[in-house]
Amino acid sequence: MKTSNTANTGDSSTDSTPHGRTSGAGRLLITVYAVFAISATARAGFQIATAFADAPVAYLLSAFAAVVYIVATVALAKPGAGWAKVASAAICVELVGVLVVGALSVFDPAAFPHATVWSMFGKGYGYIPLLLPIIGLIWLYRHRDEK
Amino acid sequence: MTLDGWIIAGMVVGIASTVVCLVAAIMKKKPNDVTLLSLAAVELFIVVYAIASGVRLLGAESLAGEAWEFWGYMFTAAMLPVAGFYWAMMERTHWSNYVMSAVGITVVVMLARMAQIWYGMATPVSALQPGIGL
Repeated sequence: MKTSNTANTGDSSTDSTPHGRTSGAGRLLITVYAVFAISATARAGFQIATAFADAPVAYLLSAFAAVVYIVATVALAKPGAGWAKVASAAICVELVGVLVVGALSVFDPAAFPHATVWSMFGKGYGYIPLLLPIIGLIWLYRHRDEK
Repeated sequence: MTLDGWIIAGMVVGIASTVVCLVAAIMKKKPNDVTLLSLAAVELFIVVYAIASGVRLLGAESLAGEAWEFWGYMFTAAMLPVAGFYWAMMERTHWSNYVMSAVGITVVVMLARMAQIWYGMATPVSALQPGIGL
């Protein structure tokens, strides 16, 4: 990753911005994914440990979301075409998840009385759960030819 | 959620750190003393808050919620500036400041959740709180 920093030392020139999938803005994307992975895991663990019987479906969904975020974080951070495919797959699952759960929670709120991260398209989190997979897929598409 | 002096102080430090790092990132600065010290200030606040919370809990005060959940948040919040620093320093570009700007605001959200655990929530069942645990 250091190698992508070329001899160009100026920090205002666009040329100094590293271009790798795991560099530059990619590191910010990975950071946001990591925050969601950690917090989703903690939240799902807490829900399942303390109140699983109240809403097993919602809390299993929380756990599933947590796993998806973990896989996406790791895959985004690892270099290589194989990890890029894993990241694409995980982020597609994430996008489908937020769209399906978001739509269901809007049109059939009775089915989702217990909120998850994807309820209402992630409204409780500033719609970041909805924006994140879209930004992630755009990022992966722009870096699709990298080894 | 009850706002006490600790939470207000934590929010000021966390938001200030986020703003400082964001401004530096938008100006395309690499991480410098100012942005790194703002991250250190967040870490210092958490350490002080953790020690003070321990003293308060050993004394007369008690948590409305679960102790392990409270200390889980405390531990994670304490790790965030360290992880953010490490992740940002592996590649020093102006993007590192964006990465570090995410730390302060995340800690603020976690402090808000810790205040809920400390004082209890308006709604009785905290497990029904929407979301992913921030």
